[in-house]
Amino acid sequence: MIIATVEPWVEPPLKQYVDDARARMALLLHPSGQVVAQAGFSRAVDVMTACALAAAVHATSRELGRQLEGDTTRRGKSFDGLHHGGEQVQLHLAPVETRGGSYICLTVFDAESSLGLVRMYFADLCAALAAAAPRFAVKRTPALAADFEHDLNRNLAGLFGRS
Amino acid sequence: MTTPFSATLESLIRLRGVRASLIVSERDGLVVDENLRYGQEGERVAALAASIYRKARLSAASARFGSVSFLQLDGENGRVCIAGAGNDLVIVVVADQSANVGLIRVDLLKATQAFQ
Repeated sequence: MIIATVEPWVEPPLKQYVDDARARMALLLHPSGQVVAQAGFSRAVDVMTACALAAAVHATSRELGRQLEGDTTRRGKSFDGLHHGGEQVQLHLAPVETRGGSYICLTVFDAESSLGLVRMYFADLCAALAAAAPRFAVKRTPALAADFEHDLNRNLAGLFGRS
Repeated sequence: MTTPFSATLESLIRLRGVRASLIVSERDGLVVDENLRYGQEGERVAALAASIYRKARLSAASARFGSVSFLQLDGENGRVCIAGAGNDLVIVVVADQSANVGLIRVDLLKATQAFQ
């Protein structure tokens, strides 16, 4: 299994999740689209693009949920998870809340697994990440042009094992 | 809320020792309808039962045993009985070790015939 992460505490729960849910791949990302971790068996994925698209889809569907719900105070919280069923590959996109902040998890699975299994083990992943998250979150500063390239290179190096 | 499956699930849960009866989508592992005793986790049972049934069905097909009619898993603290109902549906019964499996099997197979 390929596993790459920029935050080491994420690795054991994510690896366990992919194993248990028999998923092809799981990506953990910040709601901004920044990659946090990748785990799975698929190499033929442009991780950066997948994360950016996942963040966009998540933001869109959550806002749609909020609009449909008609309750602006709940921020679409009853529309937490999104499932997209394909003929061979399916997607599950849902938020993970920890003390250190919010993340989004994109899970890709096929006929080896099922939505029920993914949802079941996703609940376990949320609990495991919430327990493993550092008590004090690293304060994230806005991505300024001066730091952006440095941050990007550092994250890429972390993901592809060049750090 | 009454569904087309309510009567079937009700008759299964009334059997002695039965803790839960569910109609589950085999492909998705999601609950279609359920009748649970207090403390049973329907979603978890549904996901695992559908996965087990699908694997068994594919194994039986590979071995040229034909279709799987009834599946029983005995654990230390209970048992799960699963029967395929066609149209991507399976009927799942969770029961105590002391439950009468013969009776559950007969009722489960009767229920699957009613669906087909």
